[in-house]
Amino acid sequence: MKLAPADTRPAWCPGCGNHALLRTFEEAVDAAGIDRHRLVLVSGIGQAAKLPHYTKANVFNGLHGRALPAATAIKLANHELEVVITSGDGDMYGEGGNHFIHAMRRNVGLKAFVHNNQVYGLTKGQASPTSDWKMVTKVQPQGVLSLPLNPLALAIVQGCSFVARSFTGVRSHLREMMVAALRHRGGFALLDILQPCPSFNRQNTFEWYRQRVKPVNASHDPSERSAALELAFTWGEEIPIGIYYRCLRPSFEAQLSVLKDGPLAAG
Amino acid sequence: MDLTIRVAGEAGQGVATIGRLLVQTFGRMGLEVLATRSYMSRIRGGLNWTDIRIAEEPVFGPARQADVLVALTDLAKEILGPELKTGGLLLYNGPANAGCISIDLEATAKQTSGDALYANTVAAGAVLALLGYDSKPLEALLEAQFAKKGAQVISANAACARKGAELVAGQSAGPAAPRPGHGPKEVYDGATAIALSAAVSGVKFATAYPMTPSTPTFTWLAGAAEQYGMVVEQAEDEIAAVNMVCGATYAGVPAMTMTSGGGFALMVEGLSLAGMMELPVFIVLGQRPGPATGLPTRTAQQDLLFCLHGGHGEFPRAVFAPGTVRQCYDLTRRSLETAHQYQTPVLLLTDQFLQDMEQSLDRLDPTPRPIDRHILRDPAPGYLRYALTESGVSPRAIPGGPAFVVCDSDEHGCDGHIAEDLDSHIEQQNKRMRKLDGLRADALGPELYGGQEAETLLVAWGSTYGPAREAVDLLRGSGGSVALLHFSQVWPLRAEALKPVLSRPRRVVCVEANQTGQFATLLRSVGALGEGELLTNYSGLPFSGVEIAERMAR
Repeated sequence: MKLAPADTRPAWCPGCGNHALLRTFEEAVDAAGIDRHRLVLVSGIGQAAKLPHYTKANVFNGLHGRALPAATAIKLANHELEVVITSGDGDMYGEGGNHFIHAMRRNVGLKAFVHNNQVYGLTKGQASPTSDWKMVTKVQPQGVLSLPLNPLALAIVQGCSFVARSFTGVRSHLREMMVAALRHRGGFALLDILQPCPSFNRQNTFEWYRQRVKPVNASHDPSERSAALELAFTWGEEIPIGIYYRCLRPSFEAQLSVLKDGPLAAG
Repeated sequence: MDLTIRVAGEAGQGVATIGRLLVQTFGRMGLEVLATRSYMSRIRGGLNWTDIRIAEEPVFGPARQADVLVALTDLAKEILGPELKTGGLLLYNGPANAGCISIDLEATAKQTSGDALYANTVAAGAVLALLGYDSKPLEALLEAQFAKKGAQVISANAACARKGAELVAGQSAGPAAPRPGHGPKEVYDGATAIALSAAVSGVKFATAYPMTPSTPTFTWLAGAAEQYGMVVEQAEDEIAAVNMVCGATYAGVPAMTMTSGGGFALMVEGLSLAGMMELPVFIVLGQRPGPATGLPTRTAQQDLLFCLHGGHGEFPRAVFAPGTVRQCYDLTRRSLETAHQYQTPVLLLTDQFLQDMEQSLDRLDPTPRPIDRHILRDPAPGYLRYALTESGVSPRAIPGGPAFVVCDSDEHGCDGHIAEDLDSHIEQQNKRMRKLDGLRADALGPELYGGQEAETLLVAWGSTYGPAREAVDLLRGSGGSVALLHFSQVWPLRAEALKPVLSRPRRVVCVEANQTGQFATLLRSVGALGEGELLTNYSGLPFSGVEIAERMAR
């Protein structure tokens, strides 16, 4: 049955934060001066994971939760490629949780853009690892009993070399954060992007986020770990957006002597 | 003529070290050597042993009984003493004891060199002397091995080797020992042969989560990473390992992972991904007895059907199963070549017996000879990663060049982007499965050992080659009409080519290290085998030729 050509136009709901996210991403890639032929977008499964199909780049759209190990090896096989992961809260923090922890330890120069809408979209509305405590869904009718994962605090504690948060509703900020992450040269970068899901998350809506997000104070020093942790634990009436934490440590690939003469893939 | 020396003791006591000294020495002397390891899943205590079989002609499997037992502990003497051949010698590490040649190895080493650590060298020296061999080749080996540690270590070791020999001088003559028949040979185990071949063939990325019995392959690769320009990274789990291999091959480098059954169970989703994305993923699966954690340090051939069917959906794959250490080296390269030629996953199926088995061989060439990666250098504008072709193989570009390379785990169109169009699905599914025709046409046929006309045919695959081949020799020696059909590639099978051999009216016996006869099941499923008996061993220890021959004669 001939149904439709390949899926290269966004299939997201109207009002989905991903539309703004994609537009901003295109601008950020250009602003960072990245050659599209050297750009590899790696994703798993979920609404965020479809983004690579809607832009011009090399694409590795792999298994649910497994973008990070694939991206790790792509970068090590050819460290001249710019490897960006577009993932969601379920893909990165749930199914891929173990890889998330170890990717931060390794510190391979990957840029992880996590579309965090605090709910599962593609499977229609179950709780995600970042869903608020007591959020009611069809699978969690008594409300979510577990506490949400705090990805930014976890990243800071794990020594992730770049930790930032933004919101799709403030596109100039989001663009700035994306460019900063893309230009980061010290290893693994995590950008957690708050994004409303108009279809399945009626709690954390566009308005809910818009009223709460507040740029990180200009006086914040991202090299201060305890101050960064303070920001990571700030969630509720106010949600800070900006670069929480940055630390100087050698990237994984910079420590590998076999990569000094050029990419392995050059053969 | 052949003879087996069994060195037994606790884990951590030096069983493997003494074994290695003797194996290397025998290889240098120009003897044929085959050594097998039997050990427990522990770091200290228990009962481990190494069997070293030496001969004038090549040997292929372990003997059942030893001619010389080196018992480092009382437990080794009690349990393995009664297993000695009649007229065999027992060298016991301890005070004088009836029926034994007793040496206190640690005390002797301490007195001779000031260091009890050299007890292993005393033992090796004593064994050589008991067999009537000179200690010079051992001393030469020690000199080469400890060259970096300096003259004092070398001379202390040599003194210990000579002391061991001196202490057994005048003992009643040991069993008649084989005479070296040729120049020196190298001795390799299966795990090393696989790793060396992978490095030589151009593997640039290797990753694994450590798991017995595949770990020695991983360790060797890590040690050779600088020399061969490889990145070798320990993964956080087997899921990460296989997905890393998918990523590395997408980016263009030959890559591999290695594991055992439990780890492979975690990998099968990634295997399916390799099938869908058409990536040349290479996995070494070293089997051990399951289910679950099973017997972690023992051997089995229980994962044949699992590795054939592991992974959801239908996609082509090839499975090789070497029967000798040399085949471990040759078929690793062939696996990588096949994976790259057909852009699909390939498995190498070994087991603890073969991973740890050492054989004397002519030197394996360590010079890099990278395989053809089949990469399209200058993709034209409009390049399609999954273009439809007659062979099912689409030209493969890698990211970083002039074309965008789009790969998806979802069903996709020729351009690689997600396609839910059902026509595209059928086109792509057919394209992928067409590769199976090529894989089948290229498949290695089985080796027939013994005559075409034999009245009884043993059928074996993978590591059972050696014991089954020796069983054929034993049975023929006693007047039997027996041959062996051995498969070193178990998938795909060319059923039509097999029928003439397998359907001839005669006794056909499938010899397998599992309970259910998995290969017999596979042969039947492709219509290559009708009836047929099973001769199985799922004890955790490998077959010996003697065991197979005795059970056949019953």
